[in-house]
Amino acid sequence: MLRFFTSLILLLAFTFVAGPLQAVELAATDVPTVIIPAGQQNDQFDEDFADDFDEDFADEGSFDEILIADPLEGFNRGIFWVNDKLYFYLVKPVAKGYRFIVPRPARVSVGNFFSNLLTPIRAANALLQLKFTDFGTEIYRFIVNSTIGIAGLFDPATSLAGVEKVEEDFGQTLGYYGAGHGFYLVLPVLGPSSLRDTTGGLVDTVLDPLWYADLATMEYLGVNMFKVTNSLSLDKDTYESIVRDSLDPYLFVRAAYAQRRAAQVGKVDYSILTIDGSFFNENNLNPFKWLGM
Amino acid sequence: MKRFVLTWVFVLGFVVSAWAMPQPQEQIEGMINSVLSVLQQDELTAEEKKSQVSGRVQGFLNIASMSERTLGLYWQGATEEQRQHFSDLFVKLLEGTYLNRIDDYSGGTVQYLKQRVKGNKAIIDTKFVSEDLEIPVQYKMIYENDSWQVFDMVIEGVSMIRNYRSSYGEIIRKDGLDGLLALMEQKVFAMQGESPTQ
Repeated sequence: MLRFFTSLILLLAFTFVAGPLQAVELAATDVPTVIIPAGQQNDQFDEDFADDFDEDFADEGSFDEILIADPLEGFNRGIFWVNDKLYFYLVKPVAKGYRFIVPRPARVSVGNFFSNLLTPIRAANALLQLKFTDFGTEIYRFIVNSTIGIAGLFDPATSLAGVEKVEEDFGQTLGYYGAGHGFYLVLPVLGPSSLRDTTGGLVDTVLDPLWYADLATMEYLGVNMFKVTNSLSLDKDTYESIVRDSLDPYLFVRAAYAQRRAAQVGKVDYSILTIDGSFFNENNLNPFKWLGM
Repeated sequence: MKRFVLTWVFVLGFVVSAWAMPQPQEQIEGMINSVLSVLQQDELTAEEKKSQVSGRVQGFLNIASMSERTLGLYWQGATEEQRQHFSDLFVKLLEGTYLNRIDDYSGGTVQYLKQRVKGNKAIIDTKFVSEDLEIPVQYKMIYENDSWQVFDMVIEGVSMIRNYRSSYGEIIRKDGLDGLLALMEQKVFAMQGESPTQ
């Protein structure tokens, strides 16, 4: 018992010092404002921002916007239709029942657990893209969350240290090295994807620990269904509102998928790591808060 | 890290000149605060919240620019009447879509990360933070008629206007602009059936 506490304190010290150092330094008192004067692009830094701007406003011109090629539209729409029925008549009702029975903190923990388990995929792909900081982040998160976070059930790396998960997968790695989507693909059950991302997904299973857990095929599928059910139970009816509000849900989902993946590959950096107010506030010091309870 | 330090050096250099101009971020903060103040009033019914939010947000949006950018190529070919018709329906669709999600709000605050201004355009990076999720939201603004107005919202890298443009463009290529307008009318009609206040 004593040993447990000692190691806990050591780890705590580690979390406080190592993880948040970056965050504390970055905790800005005010929001940075950047003004880019027209025509001034000498500085490399300046150029970065100017590029960002040009890219961000690139959709200004009046042209046809094709975000992703879709030669198999008929086939895709068929699968989309099947998935839609599956969602409304099977998957969602199950998720709802599950949501009703299992309390929210438990479902959040299940989500955390699966996410922690998939660290190898994110870490390896960060490494493949030579993003060493992100690789370090994933390793750090894995160590903290597997220990203090009790086998990944909790996410103290985020809630305590403010070190957030880096979403990486082999589809993004391929994109990083210049591979385009190929074309849009709707996969049965799994939903929107593309030639590139489907390939990526297959490669990623090599790094999925569940793949090696000596499960029968049905068990493996079962665990994955459970994972999906759990994450849907935490979702606030996103798909329902898309279906309800858009003129053509198929087109809406396709456009959103293409844009989202492009942003992930391009890694638009929105998150300047900031911590609100003092670091030693209630959120950070109350163990119940950082265990996500 | 280096990038961040550079930002600050840069910021300090330009902060003085920045204050001479109207601040787009203040506009966004004003809009968000006024919306949050409505959402946080628990005594209001969902319908009351919707109508109040709708009234408050519209002044901050540049509907003309949003409509034009959504139609893109097809804006040029449209008659004045079609443009007006489209704008009207588009506003109603946006209202229906986003006001319906008001019920989902269950607490959360907005952090303002960064503001960039170039000429009459600005990009404001924010982050919506609630207990269990963080959503990066970027506002694109344009300076027109002496004020900064929003013409696009980018949520987790997905631009709202680009999404609409890509979908609507596809519908126009198949059914023509009038086909799109008819579809939009149907949708608006269906939405109004659900919530009688609009």
